[in-house]
Amino acid sequence: MGKVKKMFRYDNAGVLFVLPAFIYMLVFVGYPIIRNIILSFQDVSAGNLVRGVKNFIFFDNYLELFQDSVFRTSLFNTLRYTVLCLVFQFVIGFALALFFNRRFSFAKPVRGILLVPWMIPVTVTALMFKLLFATDIGVINYILRSFHLINKNIEWLTTPQTAMFALICANVWIGIPFNMILISTGLTTIPKELYESASIDGANKTQTFFSITLPLLKPTIESVLILGFIYTFKVYDLVYVMTSGGPVNSTHMLSTYSYKLSFEMFKYSKGSAVANVLLVILLVVGVFYIKATTKGEEA
Amino acid sequence: MDEEKKLTRKKNIIYSAVSVLFLCILLFPLYWALITSLKTEQEIFQNPPTFYPHVLNLKSYAAQVETGDFNMFRSFANSFLISLGATGIAVVLAVPASYGIAKYRFRARKLMLLSFLVTQMLPVSVLLTPMFIMFKNMHVYNTWIAAVLADATIGIPFSVLILKNYFASIPKDLEEAAYLDGCNKFTAFVRILIPIAKPGVMVCAIFSFLYAWGDLAYGMTFILDQEKRPITAGIFNFMGQYGTKWSYLTAFAVVTIIPVALIFIFMQKYIVSGMTSGAVKG
Amino acid sequence: MKSKKVISLLAALAITAGLMAGCGSSGQTENTANTEGAADQEAQEESPAAEEPASEEATTDEAAAGGAEAVTIWYYWETEGHQVALDQVIQDYNASQGNYQVTAKYVPFADFKKQLSIGASADELPDIAILDSPDHASYVEMGIFEDLTGKFDVGSYYEGAVNSCTVDGKLYGVPFGVNCLALYYNEDMLKEAGREAPTTWDELMDTAKALTTDSVTGLALCSVQNEEGTFNFVPWLWSTGADSYSIGSENGIRALTFIQNLVNEGVMSKECINWTQGDVMNQFIAGNVAMMENGPWQIPTMQKEAPDLNWKVTLIPKDSQYSSVLGGENYAVINGGKVEGALDFLTYATSEEKVKFLMDKFGYISADKAIAESQFEADSPYQPFVEELNYAMPRGPLAEWPSVSDAISLAFNQVITGTATPEDAAAEAQATIDGIVK
Repeated sequence: MGKVKKMFRYDNAGVLFVLPAFIYMLVFVGYPIIRNIILSFQDVSAGNLVRGVKNFIFFDNYLELFQDSVFRTSLFNTLRYTVLCLVFQFVIGFALALFFNRRFSFAKPVRGILLVPWMIPVTVTALMFKLLFATDIGVINYILRSFHLINKNIEWLTTPQTAMFALICANVWIGIPFNMILISTGLTTIPKELYESASIDGANKTQTFFSITLPLLKPTIESVLILGFIYTFKVYDLVYVMTSGGPVNSTHMLSTYSYKLSFEMFKYSKGSAVANVLLVILLVVGVFYIKATTKGEEA
Repeated sequence: MDEEKKLTRKKNIIYSAVSVLFLCILLFPLYWALITSLKTEQEIFQNPPTFYPHVLNLKSYAAQVETGDFNMFRSFANSFLISLGATGIAVVLAVPASYGIAKYRFRARKLMLLSFLVTQMLPVSVLLTPMFIMFKNMHVYNTWIAAVLADATIGIPFSVLILKNYFASIPKDLEEAAYLDGCNKFTAFVRILIPIAKPGVMVCAIFSFLYAWGDLAYGMTFILDQEKRPITAGIFNFMGQYGTKWSYLTAFAVVTIIPVALIFIFMQKYIVSGMTSGAVKG
Repeated sequence: MKSKKVISLLAALAITAGLMAGCGSSGQTENTANTEGAADQEAQEESPAAEEPASEEATTDEAAAGGAEAVTIWYYWETEGHQVALDQVIQDYNASQGNYQVTAKYVPFADFKKQLSIGASADELPDIAILDSPDHASYVEMGIFEDLTGKFDVGSYYEGAVNSCTVDGKLYGVPFGVNCLALYYNEDMLKEAGREAPTTWDELMDTAKALTTDSVTGLALCSVQNEEGTFNFVPWLWSTGADSYSIGSENGIRALTFIQNLVNEGVMSKECINWTQGDVMNQFIAGNVAMMENGPWQIPTMQKEAPDLNWKVTLIPKDSQYSSVLGGENYAVINGGKVEGALDFLTYATSEEKVKFLMDKFGYISADKAIAESQFEADSPYQPFVEELNYAMPRGPLAEWPSVSDAISLAFNQVITGTATPEDAAAEAQATIDGIVK
């Protein structure tokens, strides 16, 4: 074995480590991707799913989609939902990470327990939030009423705007621990000496935060946001259980709409096309993530 | 360390109190589900709502055991079996893969990394039919193997992405030393790197387990026999059967959360340390 | 070194394979353990399933029990009483002959269409499906159902029920049983308010207002944005004289406006868009709702859960004509499956004796008019449903019905949530429907 200077080496033997996992994923996920692309260019519905000719109509499904107001709503919803979720869970997660970075006695155990929301099956989380946001028996309405913030119960899940809000709340609840713990990690990698010298120079807390903490956390922040984006963007279970895309399609996402077209309305090809739009957007984000995380590596 | 000393006793108490307050706010939904499951239906509909069950009602838990042909304990066992299987596959495949990606530079590396990322992006509507066809051809349709194979596809990419950072943070010197001792790439990996990365591996195992535990779509679609289905499938039965009978639904939720809570309590050390040292640093 | 690489790869595969190999046997033990362990009726239901796991491999055709051919049924009833009744008939059938061994599998309603679609793509279907009647035409178009013309005498069946499984004059299924919707009312609440059961929309509105208090809303009907909601809405639409495809007409708008008024007057809760028919029934027996639109299959549950509640059933109040919607399931035989066995079982299950047994346990009405008319005593709570059936029409049949239904359910959801006026919602739905039904 030759001398190695870097933290890694150029050696195609590395492929052998990766190959088993890669092949596994290729078999189980690669085929579905290809099938989905083909399906989206065809005209498959109930009539020709099993027998009959599947015609290639190429981009007609996609063109049709952009005429479809539910699709446009879903696309817009997915983006809005993802961005809002990311902003809230990131900001709250960041704040909590900063708080728990102080070394008081409860810091570690409490931070540990705060991870629990992330571990609960999403369907269960959705059920819990459906209960919290219920109109008559919902405790959220009760709390708002008792603080006199409202005098009439809000119909959270049956009003388009508030239904989206409820979904975002549920997702932020799941996302906060994820953000908090990854940012906590990032914070521990910042050398303490930097803060000490900054305080000697007379910098106040806000200044050190913007001149030291944020810049040094940049790689962590990038990763957290992009991983969060992917997990949020393809949300399915949560929406399905809490609102099923309603009321009046106002909370349909690309994933739920694709599911509805494919499995409830027998429009298989159109459903595939919706899924592909979702996939393309995520792919762009994925490429961006790879670029960001492998930057500076010699490849 | 220094900061720890700086914190006065008073500050320590204040911070701890505030942290407990955060905890209460964030875990309130769980508390609410728990007490709802212990209330009677009448009490649930009571206005103003009660913040602890005034009349203790365990009927909704009893109903979980008795109801229909959905057996709570059996589905529990099924879920465990499926999750363990998926975890096994994910760990066996993802650990070497993440090592390869972290420590070697080879052609198609970025492509492979991207493809692991892509596989996390697919919506279920894309996966269900083709996977179903494959499982049928493999003669594993309607067995728990199908769910295991499908669930592993969630765990593998996640584990690779988290573990690769873990391996990247292990200094090269350790491997060098192993080579001097006569190890080759593979024995060095097995003897030296895996033991060091153990916390990271544990984290991946735990998360693969949790992803499989939380899966609904695969278990529902690829397993048809009620007696082989995972516990999350029970949610469907319950929602169909009891609509918004909240005492039953929340009891179900509580029962589903218990194993998660147990895993967490026993594995807390690994989860937190693994998460914080396997940093997503890129 | 090369060989070591291979070995480590093989080791990984072996572990994976080992994991898989372990499961076949443990799955089996679990099944047998279950059959032995439970001694109640539940175990009885499952015993055929426990004998069958061998067929889950490739050997579906060789049945476990002494050379009998395995026949599989899929159904979606989650109600325990329904499952038990169906299994009883299957048990009796299996005991009555030795050629076929029938097994029924529960697929949740929310998953039923998906499972059939995927199953059709993968050629992995049951031999008999018991499915929701409005979906029947779509699967016929998919070409997965056997033509049953001439094999069953459906001459005395309700016309609407037969139509739901007939495409181009050919019979592709046999009605399992029928139901329809009618108006339930809480007798005590009406008495207290000094009201009679309403018969027209105006009376309904009046009565509902009189019944609404702080804790009670006058009327509830399931308005979920899916087929279930459409099922509950179309009686109101049809009562105006509009049909399913002319919601944009003046009549259609009137129906939507009526629903809107119910919500605006506070006599119907907006929450109805989240209430399934089961939820509506639960609200009714909890005393939160004074009147509800619902079907006869709720009666067994209501009698069991709220034996002291005084309620009655009457026709759905009318606008210009009485109207209800025909619901229920159809049996369909999958082509390419074990057609002979499926037909044999269906012949058995559609005999008068078995039909009576099933209908009684289900709270359904026989699809066979001759049986239905003598099925209940005159004072039975089911009797109003038999009368209502005379006014009940089927949805479709149309292969594209799911899309039409989607447009209709969007329209009444828009109106209930106040996101569109009845005029706009009707126009939008009409445009969608015109695009589907040319």
